[in-house]
Amino acid sequence: MKRRKVDVAAIPGNFAGGLDDRFRGSTPLRRIINKVFPDHWSFLLGEIALFSFIMLLLTGVFLTLFYTPSLNTVTYDGSYAPLRGVHMSEAYASSLNLSFDVRGGLVIRQMHHWSALLFLAAIVVHMCRIFFTGAFRKPRELNWIIGLTMFWLAFLSGFTGYSLPDDALSGTGLRIASAIMLSIPVIGSWVTTGLFDGEFPGTVIMTRFYITHVLLIPAALLTLITVHLTLVFTQKHTQWRAPGRTEHNVVGERFIPRYIIKQSGFMMAVFGVIALMGGLFQINPIWLFGPYEAFTVSAASQPDWYVMFLDGSTRLFPAWEIRFDLFGWGDGYTIPPLFWPTVVLPGILTVAPMVYPFIEARLTRDYRRHNLLQRPRDVPARTSLGAMSIMFWLVLTLSGGNDVLADKFHVSLNAMTWAGRIGLLILPPLAYYVTYRICLGLQQHDREVLAHGVETGIIRRLPDGRFVEVHQPLAPIDEHGHGSLEYAGWVVPKKMNRVGALGPAIKGFFFPIEKPVEAPVSPGHPPVSPRPEREEITK
Amino acid sequence: MTSDTPGGLLARLRRRRSQPRGRVRRRLGTVVRLTLALTLAGGVYAVFAPGLSADDTPQLSTAAAEGKVLFDQSCISCHGRNAQGVPDRGPSLIGVGAAAVEFQVSTGRMPMARQEAQAPRKPAIFDDDQTRQLAQYIQELGGGPQVPDGDLRAPGGDDEAMARGGNLFRINCSACHAFSGGGGALSSGKYAPSLKESTDRQLYSAMLTGPQNMPVFGDNQLTPEQKKEIISYVQVALKEDKDPGGWGLGRFGPVTEGLAIFLVGIVALVFTALWIAGKS
Amino acid sequence: MTTETHDHGVDRDEVDIFDPRLSRFEIVREGARRDGVEIVHYEDPFPVPGTKAERRMVRTVAACFWITGIAATAFLVIYIWWPWDYDLGSNKGKLYTPLLGLTLGIACLAVGFGILMWGKRLMPHEISVQDRHDGNSGQTERKLTGESIVYMADEIGFKRRKSLGLIALLGLTPIGIVAVAPLLGGLIKSPTKDRILFRTGWDPAANGGRLVRLTREDGTPIRPEDVSVGGQMTVFPDIPGGATNEHADSPTLLIHLRGEDAAKTSADAKPVNQGSQWGNYVAYSKICTHAGCPASLYEQQSNRLLCPCHQSQFLITDNARPIFGPATRSLPQLPITVDEDGYFVATSDYKVAVGPAFWERP
Repeated sequence: MKRRKVDVAAIPGNFAGGLDDRFRGSTPLRRIINKVFPDHWSFLLGEIALFSFIMLLLTGVFLTLFYTPSLNTVTYDGSYAPLRGVHMSEAYASSLNLSFDVRGGLVIRQMHHWSALLFLAAIVVHMCRIFFTGAFRKPRELNWIIGLTMFWLAFLSGFTGYSLPDDALSGTGLRIASAIMLSIPVIGSWVTTGLFDGEFPGTVIMTRFYITHVLLIPAALLTLITVHLTLVFTQKHTQWRAPGRTEHNVVGERFIPRYIIKQSGFMMAVFGVIALMGGLFQINPIWLFGPYEAFTVSAASQPDWYVMFLDGSTRLFPAWEIRFDLFGWGDGYTIPPLFWPTVVLPGILTVAPMVYPFIEARLTRDYRRHNLLQRPRDVPARTSLGAMSIMFWLVLTLSGGNDVLADKFHVSLNAMTWAGRIGLLILPPLAYYVTYRICLGLQQHDREVLAHGVETGIIRRLPDGRFVEVHQPLAPIDEHGHGSLEYAGWVVPKKMNRVGALGPAIKGFFFPIEKPVEAPVSPGHPPVSPRPEREEITK
Repeated sequence: MTSDTPGGLLARLRRRRSQPRGRVRRRLGTVVRLTLALTLAGGVYAVFAPGLSADDTPQLSTAAAEGKVLFDQSCISCHGRNAQGVPDRGPSLIGVGAAAVEFQVSTGRMPMARQEAQAPRKPAIFDDDQTRQLAQYIQELGGGPQVPDGDLRAPGGDDEAMARGGNLFRINCSACHAFSGGGGALSSGKYAPSLKESTDRQLYSAMLTGPQNMPVFGDNQLTPEQKKEIISYVQVALKEDKDPGGWGLGRFGPVTEGLAIFLVGIVALVFTALWIAGKS
Repeated sequence: MTTETHDHGVDRDEVDIFDPRLSRFEIVREGARRDGVEIVHYEDPFPVPGTKAERRMVRTVAACFWITGIAATAFLVIYIWWPWDYDLGSNKGKLYTPLLGLTLGIACLAVGFGILMWGKRLMPHEISVQDRHDGNSGQTERKLTGESIVYMADEIGFKRRKSLGLIALLGLTPIGIVAVAPLLGGLIKSPTKDRILFRTGWDPAANGGRLVRLTREDGTPIRPEDVSVGGQMTVFPDIPGGATNEHADSPTLLIHLRGEDAAKTSADAKPVNQGSQWGNYVAYSKICTHAGCPASLYEQQSNRLLCPCHQSQFLITDNARPIFGPATRSLPQLPITVDEDGYFVATSDYKVAVGPAFWERP
């Protein structure tokens, strides 16, 4: 029998037709293809977080295949000679095994840890961008709250994650965490014995941390990331002000193929950076820390950078303890000094940013929807508030490492503590004031350029002997030389190459290498030869 | 004249001479009597005296004598002529032993350039021989602990000994000197120094003598074998062993790791983002 | 492809997409228009195919992908054949991880930049505008949905059958709690049972009534001459697991003070610490009263004990009271003496709770 000829060229079309017969996906698919996304480098910061999270999942799966979350004691008998014969928990031994006796284990473990640091760094930088540009305003307040929740989930994930190897450094951090829980009034001791199943450290904490770290938190994060991105998709991304952009449109490129190409290229770049750091920079050398023992500690013990602000707040908080008698009920009660910097402060830092969009709307009486971003200089109060918060956070984080700074820069440790305490009170208001003045100065400069034009750098001598700089006006000027342009919220060109007076700078990255464009000529004019390069007169 | 007086031996002895002797005989007699008296006194003293004690110039070995010369040049302004110490300047060195001198001088801490919170390590003024001589002098002057000669490490190839050294290091040493041996801050400007430049003998002598604010780890607390195990761990596992995971970022821990992620990771990716999407 | 620029917002009639004269791009643009997207600028960077500039750009992108392939292959070769067994010192095995990271990183970066350059330099540049169609759903939709929801309440009959609703609510509340109860209940463990927060491994009651000896980490007991003047030793209770994390509240610092310091310490001892010193020896809990790190940095000349975690400093010659930093309570002192065999023993457990403070601590 004659075999039916298969029309190869028609296969894709038939396949697609089959899918559409079943799922009716033509229109939704095209809508997605044609969806427009705006373009700016600062919109890619959240993507760094997303891609680091993907890397965390990929490397994390590998790690789960080799790690044992048990605090049972074993004797080490692996490749790392300086720990041979040492008693340690199975968790620590399996982490050492992963690092030294599994092919490629160390590079995967280091990539996982660097991805975690990058994940949180990207979240922080992304949150700052959202804050300073006002992207959290209506209708995006929920997305802001979801983002903050994801920050704290990532924080907990990092903490549980780096505690899993049960090394001396993270074990010390776990000890401090149990002391923090103990310090909670009324229920503190119950929370601690509940979590640790008795006194610290107990035998179950590692299994509980493990399931939290590999199942509970990733599931929550995946759900929230999905909601977060869906909201961005349906509400459409915000965009900067510019000509042609309004509150009711999005200007940019269509999703497929351009945006997808950018995303996947960027994803590979993020992966590449993580891989390079994972191989070339050592991180968390657990074999040097040794197993966690309640009686050993190292100088310069810090948590990972994103927790360091809490270490700093703990170091700086003065020795203030509240002790009182409840009228003969019990033997007397204590609120330890650890409660305020490690429980109350993070509580405030969680709730206050979440309600901030509503507070700002109330204070500015602005309840409208906003899809256009604001330049930070145009909202000096918010920008200064943000700068103040960042300064507060920075002083705390640096104080978290104040013993390292004291040792390496030969400063007295006690002086570092006092410097942190005083700096925490003085520097944030100072940052507020300085940022405010800078914002006002920038605003003023914008309006000055709009009024007087762009500085060309050309100096002209007037007949009466004065020197003036020639300015290039941006719009028709009146008899006094002033322009009539209003500030419209977008970037004011301040250099000649931005208004096209100079040829596009296609060379140079930090400083454009500019050449003047050839003067335009009318068609009847004989062709103009390019201006000869200037020759230096040496004689 | 002599026969008139009543006689008996005793009476005769009591009687004075009626006639003085001749001058020469008198002189000779004096000499003989003096010599006899001195011999008697000296003999009694030699028998009953408690033995020679240190006087201004004790009997020193050659090395110690050389050391004394060096000591008199460089050390007495703060430690006193007899190493008894000068108030508010330098402590007494009686009983500190050769080990302490070896540590302080070979690390350059002594002679101290100025009074400060802690003597820092600096290029040594004295070479090995001179250090040995100074140490010998102080040892002979007041006694004290000494660093044993020979190999100060655990037997080579014995991983378990090095691991025991690691355990001891983590209990006793890492709190001040950090897990990496890189040193750490103490209160009010003091610090536990980095062990990066320390030799075996310097490690041993530091443990044995407890310089400045470092606690003393006598041989009853950390036996010589245990000290050698610790030295093996520090020199081999911490210093000679290269980091397997790439550049160690100074082995400071999370502080430099956090700095690296911002300075390398975020900066690289922000520049990439600028290249991809540019500005509006 | 051509350069197309159109006025944004100009309304056009619907295009017949089955018209055979339409180019593919025109169909695409019509589809976008029907999705609310206006392609206002579309420019091919290389309108004339085959120019030198285009070939150079193509070569650059191709080079990126070449590098990807080479780096990825290098990664596989190194992964499989490079020696990676761990040996102390400086050897080829120490380069395994850096080489893997380097090759993988270059491979990822190269493919990333290849893709990005393809998109940026080889593909046409486009600017499109899409209507947001945002804002609320409008009065009509709001009313329809709102009334549907309110009618649901009428259908279920909350207003008509008030008592039923109330009883349902009362009955359902315990079920909600039941769902959560086992999780919380299983976690609850009383901290007051056996006064675990107030007792440590030094308690004779847990040692069969016998006084507990001080031991080193390896379990050997300690004589006074084992600790030099100006020295300190970490000691543990002589019970099973005493030197492990099983008794994480028990590690103690035994310090041999100089004569005059010891005399001062004894003279200044507060009532709860009187009699706890033995000769020139004192023993304080190593667990910092601030957050529980072992306070281990003993400065023998200034007699300060520094905790490295948050820089609390305790003055050993004055009941180990905190003199700097966030700690508020002195380190508890372990009362010690020497038994008839000449070894240190603890005469009793610590007189106060050890470690960081908590609500119930007086």
